Amino acid sequence: MSQIGVDQWVEQSGDRQEQYSGWTAPARRFFDKVRPGWRLAIFLLLAGIYPLLISQSGVRIGITILLLAMLALGLNVVVGWTGLLDLGYVAFYGFGAYFYAIVASDQLPAHWPTWIAIPVIVVATALLGALLSLPSRRLVGDYLAIMTLFFAQIFVEIVRNFQRLPGVSEDFDLTGGPNGVTGVEPWSLFGFEFGTFNRNYYLLLVLLDLLIVGLHNIDNSRTGRAWRALREDTLAAEHMTTPVNRLKMLAFAVGAAIAGLTGTIFAAVQVGVFPNNFALVFLITVYAAVILGGLGSIPGVVLGAIAIAYTPELLRDPGAAGWLFYLGLLALLVFTFKKPIRLLAATVGLVVFGLVVRLVALGVWDDSILGTANDNFFSRLVDGWVLILGQNQDVISNYAFVLAVIGVLAVIVARGWWKVAALVPTLYLAILVWENKLALQPSVTRQLLFGGVLMVMMAVRPQGLLGTRRVEIT
Amino acid sequence: MEFFLQQTMNGLTLGSVYALLALGYSMVYGVLKLLNFAHGEVYMFGAFAGYGVLTVLGGPSALIVPVWLVISLMFVASMAVASAIGVALERFAYRPLRNSSRIAPLISAIGASFFLQAAALLLFTANSRSYDAPTLIPISSGVKVGPIDVWMVRILVIVTAAVLMILLTLWVARTKTGKAVRAVSFDREAAAMMGIDVDRVIVVTFLIGSALAGVGGVMVGLVFGRIFHLMGFVAGLKAFTAAVVGGIGSIPGAMLGGLLIGFAEAYTTGYISSTFQNLIVFGLLITFLLIRPSGILGRPELVKV
Amino acid sequence: MTPILELSGLSKSFGGLQVIQSLDMTVGHGEIVSVIGPNGAGKTTLFNIISGIYQPDSGEILLDGKTILGSSPEEISNLGIARTFQTLRVFLNMTVRENVMAAAYGATKTRLWQSVLRTPSARREEEQIKRLAEEKLGFFGERLMGYRWDQPAYSLSYANRRRLEIARATATNPRLLMLDEPAAGMNPAETHEVTQLIGRLREEAGYSILVIEHDMHVVEGISDRVIALDHGEQIAEGSFDEVATDTKVIEAYLGYGAAKTK
Repeated sequence: MSQIGVDQWVEQSGDRQEQYSGWTAPARRFFDKVRPGWRLAIFLLLAGIYPLLISQSGVRIGITILLLAMLALGLNVVVGWTGLLDLGYVAFYGFGAYFYAIVASDQLPAHWPTWIAIPVIVVATALLGALLSLPSRRLVGDYLAIMTLFFAQIFVEIVRNFQRLPGVSEDFDLTGGPNGVTGVEPWSLFGFEFGTFNRNYYLLLVLLDLLIVGLHNIDNSRTGRAWRALREDTLAAEHMTTPVNRLKMLAFAVGAAIAGLTGTIFAAVQVGVFPNNFALVFLITVYAAVILGGLGSIPGVVLGAIAIAYTPELLRDPGAAGWLFYLGLLALLVFTFKKPIRLLAATVGLVVFGLVVRLVALGVWDDSILGTANDNFFSRLVDGWVLILGQNQDVISNYAFVLAVIGVLAVIVARGWWKVAALVPTLYLAILVWENKLALQPSVTRQLLFGGVLMVMMAVRPQGLLGTRRVEIT
Repeated sequence: MEFFLQQTMNGLTLGSVYALLALGYSMVYGVLKLLNFAHGEVYMFGAFAGYGVLTVLGGPSALIVPVWLVISLMFVASMAVASAIGVALERFAYRPLRNSSRIAPLISAIGASFFLQAAALLLFTANSRSYDAPTLIPISSGVKVGPIDVWMVRILVIVTAAVLMILLTLWVARTKTGKAVRAVSFDREAAAMMGIDVDRVIVVTFLIGSALAGVGGVMVGLVFGRIFHLMGFVAGLKAFTAAVVGGIGSIPGAMLGGLLIGFAEAYTTGYISSTFQNLIVFGLLITFLLIRPSGILGRPELVKV
Repeated sequence: MTPILELSGLSKSFGGLQVIQSLDMTVGHGEIVSVIGPNGAGKTTLFNIISGIYQPDSGEILLDGKTILGSSPEEISNLGIARTFQTLRVFLNMTVRENVMAAAYGATKTRLWQSVLRTPSARREEEQIKRLAEEKLGFFGERLMGYRWDQPAYSLSYANRRRLEIARATATNPRLLMLDEPAAGMNPAETHEVTQLIGRLREEAGYSILVIEHDMHVVEGISDRVIALDHGEQIAEGSFDEVATDTKVIEAYLGYGAAKTK
């Protein structure tokens, strides 16, 4: 890519000013103009008035978002800045949560005061993180990933089977096994108890704010630079006076400490902890947040966390889920085609295709295969066009799902009018599967979505929404 | 003694399956230097493909064709489904990332693994299924080796695995494509310059690796009965470590590693605890990774500057 | 006076291949020594041993009379040996200035908590590193100045990346600078500039310099002393003219018998 004597930066300076193209350009240019301090202030203002405008369940969602944002920021230190793939991250969150749950419930004879418990937990989690980083001296990349993944597995197995660990007496059930720990008390500082959703929300908001400022400062310090340097080229960094092993350990410890701290509040808000809270699903959720927002970028990661934490809430509400799905489809249609004529052809084709399928299906069988539509705006809209199935719903929509996935792959490969031809049945099948199956199973849909987000983002926009594109040595 | 032999038999059966799975990891790692996290899910789909064939042909207790034909068809179907998924993964999840950072295809692979898990949950629900192998092949049809009875299914599994591995070894050593796979593992760029179609070699690698995983899925169904949408995850983790223990990129290494993990797991379950079977196996593996990350048959890599 | 770098009886083999064979050499204070030799002669391996990537099988490495055997690359860079890489290893996704600032890690002391709180001492040190980086970049005239500070390193041309690597190496405050083919891939004008630059690095900044170079014009222009290696062994040592006319050296480059036909 480099040509001798030509300075590419100067050559491309025109392109660079125009690099924000498309409909997001004004928003992104505006975002760039606002200084980080003001961005944070605006975020705080909006987040601060949010609970005043919304119901308790809305505040609960806000708490989920803030928890995920803090976790994602911690993971970003390890993965985004230092470039180490840590798949055991959720175990630190779990460690913090279990530790707090145990010392702030009736699991132990005495409850620890918050001002002692929190520092102890944060330090202990940081030490655990440092300990887990020791192998990273010898293991890089994939081996480190697999090892940390083992660690996460082992953590869940231990908390689930603590009683049966060798040397532990049957009566001493510290982690509560599969039933977890319940009756966890909230944080209580200087006689002030964080017992309500609102109080926890503001507590989290303050902590997140401090975390953002602290991480921003680290990013612009010698430590932040050294982390990035060892991500870029560990060997070169080592030759430039950087103690890489110590810095890897530090990155793991900082990430773990943030996860541990977040875990304590999670345990308090949920009034309990359970082994399933820390399963693979949650790890993928945190990764999706970091990747979607942009590896390495603090505002990106926060934005990613908001999007990822809010999605399941949308999916849970059938009406909102319909909007999410159909607007997503519309966006996909619009962005797939640059020529309006093809867009038009695809839309018309889709409507006709649906009617033909319906006619054929009702001709071969009869009305008895039809069921009732879901009760929301879009479902009623497409009812009478797409097949809403009654009996055999599962079998038919299973085939439709497999065909739809194949269709998506075909659309990716196809060019020109073939793309239109592939897109029409794919969209139809997608709508069929959505109305008959996905809309009814929000938790599975969420998993499909998050897994898909990771794959699609890596292929389409590895820098995420707000990250900067990275160049790699090949 | 009898108990010990029984556990050894368990280990050998389990080890054969892990070895088949580990081969896929090892071969893909060889050509792409990529840890294919979704390999375990490919194996899971293979198991379900076998179940599908079994159901279509009447189910274990009311077969409409002879048993040997059913089992052969199950293997064929699982290989077809698994290799289709494997090749699709390569084409859509990994190929676009061939020249990006090392972390990007890994994240894509985790995403793919998770997506496939969710897809299986959607298609097959969270209920586990059973091949009901004792009905398929009666337990009494075994042979007596010394003091223990060896169930026919186990012989079938071990022999099939051994045959496949021998075929694979011959293929890699003798055929033109097999040699190309080795060349690409050794140095992808140099191989490309020598006129080897690297893309094709990578596709073939995924095809074969995934087909072996599919067979492994059916074998697990036959021997251990239960198949479910999460079965690929932990099995995949263990098989990958088997590949690492044997020496990643090395085909005999993957076989050896698979058997070792199988024995380790069987003896742990038999003599120590079944609750902490995973924990102990993982613990052993971590220790091994730390002591000899290049594996038993692998070569330590030199730092290139 | 002890030399800045002294190697004695250095040997290294990979498997059965003897890459360095009982090599003795020195670099004096303020001296510029060039190492030449055909490809595969062991030049880069020599650099890798000195900078701590590989441990030698036998022999001794003394920096200012003190052994550095068994030290890690990080420790060695802190002791005052800095290097560049033949295959350019700049931190591509960091800005030009950050690249140089990163190399000052070992010389700075701000703790993590001080960075988090941005204490006055942390800010002061940050300013110092920034000025240091700008000063080191200023060594290359206008090439890496001003608007280029905030460019990502990947946007630099090949020649500028080589310059950046040298600037980064000097930011570790070294006593001995090891340059691995600083003129590789450059055009004649740039090569000429590199020759002058290496001279200036000694005159103005006072570094002792060990260079691997293939371009004989550069070698001729900069070297106080030239050492020729072949198959890991020293085959000639002396001034450029002595080494360039040495029979063994000509044979190593051109093959056996070449010296006679000349």
